[in-house]
Amino acid sequence: MDSQIESVMKRGRGYWFVDGFTEILAGILFILLGGITLLSGIVPPSSFLSQFVSLAESAAIVKFLGLILAVLGLWWLKDRFTYPRTGFVREKGVPRAQLLIFLRNAVLIAILPVLGLIIPLFVVPAVRGAIFSMPVWFPPVLGIFWGALCILLGEWTALRRFRLLGVVIMLAGISIGIWQLTLGLPNVPADALRANILSPLPDVLWAPVKESLNRVLAGVGLLTLLSGIAFAVSGLATFLRYRKENPVPYREES
Amino acid sequence: MSEPLRNLSDLDRVIHEPARLLLVALLSSVESADFLFLLKESRLTKGNLSVHLSRLEEAGYLRVEKTFRGKIPHTEFRLTPKGKTAFDQYRKDLGLIVNPKKGRG
Repeated sequence: MDSQIESVMKRGRGYWFVDGFTEILAGILFILLGGITLLSGIVPPSSFLSQFVSLAESAAIVKFLGLILAVLGLWWLKDRFTYPRTGFVREKGVPRAQLLIFLRNAVLIAILPVLGLIIPLFVVPAVRGAIFSMPVWFPPVLGIFWGALCILLGEWTALRRFRLLGVVIMLAGISIGIWQLTLGLPNVPADALRANILSPLPDVLWAPVKESLNRVLAGVGLLTLLSGIAFAVSGLATFLRYRKENPVPYREES
Repeated sequence: MSEPLRNLSDLDRVIHEPARLLLVALLSSVESADFLFLLKESRLTKGNLSVHLSRLEEAGYLRVEKTFRGKIPHTEFRLTPKGKTAFDQYRKDLGLIVNPKKGRG
């Protein structure tokens, strides 16, 4: 019986996602971010489109304002569309102490893998090879991480579609890794890898480093784009179903 | 009286009624919610829902806040600390009935 109570509680937690608006907006943001990242690696530097891409890449204020506008738009949509149909819910606020713990953990999760990679670079020169295989392992790791977050959200809210989205994102990341593997890794002279790590990077390694980073960027861009498409499609399907089930705002009978 | 039976009789009867249990469970996962949300989620009739909400309010488990959203009157319901404690206790008591070993350990 307690699991039934728990499932009722999860319905309250998942109400924010009932209309699909959040997924549609997150999907659009992801598609834009992923698209710009991908285009920046593909578009020739002298073309007209490259001016647009470089502007979109560099204008952090545009991204920030876009995010704020998206959140305001989401509230507006919910106020006009969702709340008159299925009611208003004020979500639970997160206590400051809990928020600080969450932020600390998020920063640690973001920093520790990077430190885990950089520190061995200085101690074990052979680990330098990991940099050059990044196009193969980074997108799957990122995909699995994002997918796991989606699945956790699905568990928290009892919304099955988030579990499905999580699996799709994980598969997308793994597929990108396999695709990069089929392209082969940048050629790196083994001697240069073992050279003194504190000395400047040998010239012979610069080209593979650049190639590796460009391919990582392309992989992350593609993963972001695919995740955005998955979110947008899922959100749209949810919205259409929600609109069908709740065609008109609820009216009190007089 | 045996222990499981005593536990059963100790259950909070205000919360134990299925419709009220549903309402309390819904409200426990959010800060507050309006009448329409509770109506849609519980699938009760308006009259029934009003009665159960009044019963919870009388027991001090629920607080009703009447506000305006724009020009439209808006009523929100939220669990009081007493209501939250009662719900937690109810779940604990229910757990003891369903799985008595838990309580002994």
